[in-house]
Amino acid sequence: MRISPKTVSSSSIIIILFLAIFIGAISKMKTSSIRLPKTIDSWTRPDSPRRVTSQNIFDYMNGAGELYVGYRFDHLEVYEYTSSQEDDILVELYFMASSDDSFGLLSLDWGGEPVSLSDSALNVKKQSQSHLIRALYGDGLLRIWADNLYVRVMATRETPASKKAVLSLGKAITADQKNPQDPELLKALSPQMVSDWKMRRDRMSFFRSYLVLNSIYYLSPQNILELDHSTEAVTAPYEKARETGDIKRIQFLLVKYENPERARNALDHFHDAFLPEHKKDNKPDSAVKSPSVFEVEEGWLGYQLKGRYLAIVFDCPDQESAQNIIHQNASNLAKIED
Amino acid sequence: MEKKKGALTRRDFIRGTIGATFGTSLVGLNWSEMKSAEAGSSLVTIVRDEGAMDAANKVNADVLKKMLEQTLIKFTGEKSVKDAWLSLVKPSDKIGLVPTPHLNPTHDEVTDAVKSSLVDSGILEANITLAQGGPDKPKACTALIALPALKAHWLTGLGTVMKIYILYSGNARQYHEQNNAKLGETWNLPFVKGKTKLVLVDALHPLFDKGPQVDPRYKWAYKGLIAGTDPVAVDTVCLKIIMNKREATRGEPWPISPPPLCVEAADKEYGLGTSKLENIKIETFGWKEGLLL
Repeated sequence: MRISPKTVSSSSIIIILFLAIFIGAISKMKTSSIRLPKTIDSWTRPDSPRRVTSQNIFDYMNGAGELYVGYRFDHLEVYEYTSSQEDDILVELYFMASSDDSFGLLSLDWGGEPVSLSDSALNVKKQSQSHLIRALYGDGLLRIWADNLYVRVMATRETPASKKAVLSLGKAITADQKNPQDPELLKALSPQMVSDWKMRRDRMSFFRSYLVLNSIYYLSPQNILELDHSTEAVTAPYEKARETGDIKRIQFLLVKYENPERARNALDHFHDAFLPEHKKDNKPDSAVKSPSVFEVEEGWLGYQLKGRYLAIVFDCPDQESAQNIIHQNASNLAKIED
Repeated sequence: MEKKKGALTRRDFIRGTIGATFGTSLVGLNWSEMKSAEAGSSLVTIVRDEGAMDAANKVNADVLKKMLEQTLIKFTGEKSVKDAWLSLVKPSDKIGLVPTPHLNPTHDEVTDAVKSSLVDSGILEANITLAQGGPDKPKACTALIALPALKAHWLTGLGTVMKIYILYSGNARQYHEQNNAKLGETWNLPFVKGKTKLVLVDALHPLFDKGPQVDPRYKWAYKGLIAGTDPVAVDTVCLKIIMNKREATRGEPWPISPPPLCVEAADKEYGLGTSKLENIKIETFGWKEGLLL
C-alpha cells in the first residue's frame, strides 16, 4: 500500500493532537501537586512524596482509610520532613473531588485554634468564629480546608520551632489555593430557631457516608439512609436551656439525594428500619405539608421529604419542637440552588 | 409492620435489646456510676507511675521496667517476675509479641521491656518473636502476648484489645463496617484460639477520640499498663477509662460513637470473656491522680 502525503499529513495531525492532549494531561497531573519548600528551618523533605490512592490507602492507614473513601477521595501525597535537631513533621495532602469534600473532612472537628494562613506576614491571627474557618491548629497538628485539598500537617512533638514550621508549611500549601464557599446545603441550617433552639455551629458536619454519620450520631450499623458518594448530608445539634437549667440537645439531619425517587426510597428504607411499629404516611411528598412525627425512646422524631431532600430531627422533647425545627429548616431549602 | 431482619438501629441499643452495657456508651448515661466487682471472675490490674514519661512524653525505660514487674507480680500473685512469667508461658513456648502496629502504636519501649523481662526470666531470645501481621505469624507461635495500645477508633468505638488480631484474618477490611462486631472471630481462629497468655495494654499515652489517625489534642499522659488474661474484661476497663476521659474533657457526657459493638459481641457471641463491669475485679497500683475509674 502506498502512503500518500495527504495520509501522512492526516496521521501527523492526529498524532500531534493526541500528544498534545496526553502532554496536557500529564502536565495537569503534575501541576495538581502542591509545591512545598524543600527545606524549612532545620527540616528537609524528600524529593518526591509517597502517593496513596484508594487502592492502597488501607495499607497506609488501616481503617482510617474508610473516612477518606467515605468522601470523594482522589489521592493522597505524603511528605515527611526530617531534622537533625527536632522530631519529624508529617505533611498529608488529601486531594478530594470537590471543595465540599475537603470541607467535610475539616467539619468533623471544629476544635483547635482557628488560624489565618493568608496574611503576608506569618503572624497567626485568630479568626472570629463568625467567619468561615479554613484552618485549625492544636498541639502540633494543623488541619486545613483549601479548595479541593484537605491537609494535615503534624509535628511529632510540638515546640515553638515546630509550630512555626508547621504554620509556614500551611501557608505555603494554601498560597495558590482558591477559597470557595462552604457547601450549599449548609444554607438550610438556621443558626437559631424561633423557639430558641440554637445550632451548635462547632458541631456541624458535612458528609456522604453512613460510617461518618455513625461517628457523629450513631444511627445503625447498616446504611439505612442509603448514603453514598452521590448524596450530600449535613448534621448539627441544636440546644436549648430548659427551665431546670440543664441543656436539652436534639440532632438535625438533612440529606440531599440525586433525585426525588432516591430520596423517597431512602425514606422508606429508613422508616422500615427505624420506625417499624409506626405506620407510614403514604401520601406523595408534595401533598405532605407538615412533618411526620413519632414518639420513640429518646423523645420525638420528625421527618419530612421535600423533593430530593430528606430532613430528619431526633431526640426532640415534644412533637411541636420536632415539627417546628423541621419546618423552619425545610423552608430554607428555597435558598439552595437545585 | 414487622421490622426488616438484620436492620439494627440506635433504638435497639437505647432499649437495651442489644448492648445493655454498651448502649450506655451511646447516650453517655450511667457509665461512670457502674461499679466493678469486689471479687469478680476476671481480674484486671492497672499500674501507673507519674515518672513513666517526661514532659516531652519520652518513655523512661527504667520506670517502665518496674511497672511491668509490678504488673506481673500483682496480676499473677507470684513472688518473682520469673515465677510470674512461668505461670503464664512455658519455657518451650514459641512466644509471639503482638503490638499495635500503626497510628498511635504500642511504644517500642513496652515491647522491648516485655522481651527483656522474658529473657531475664529464662526464656530463650530465639523463642520470642514479633508476631503482628498476617496469619503466618500466629501459626508459628504456641503462645501470644497481646500488647495493644489504648485508643478510641472511629469505626469500632474502641481500637484496643479486640482489634489487635485483625490482621490475622488476612482481610482486615472485612471488619471495618458493620462487621466490626465480629472482631471476636479473630480470637477464635484455629491458629489463634487459646494462645493468648496475657493481654498487656500500653496505656502510657492513649488516644481518646478521632482515632486511629492521631490528633495530639486527644492524647493524654495516662502513664499506665493495664493487664489481664480476659481480653474482654481488659477492653471493658479500657473503654471505661476512655469514656471517663471524654466526659472529663468536655464536662458533660460525650458519647463514644459508634458504640464498641465488638466488645460486647466478644462476650455474648464469641465467649471470649466478660463485658460486665460487675464481673470484673479492677486492682490499681501506683499513681492515683487522673485514674478515671
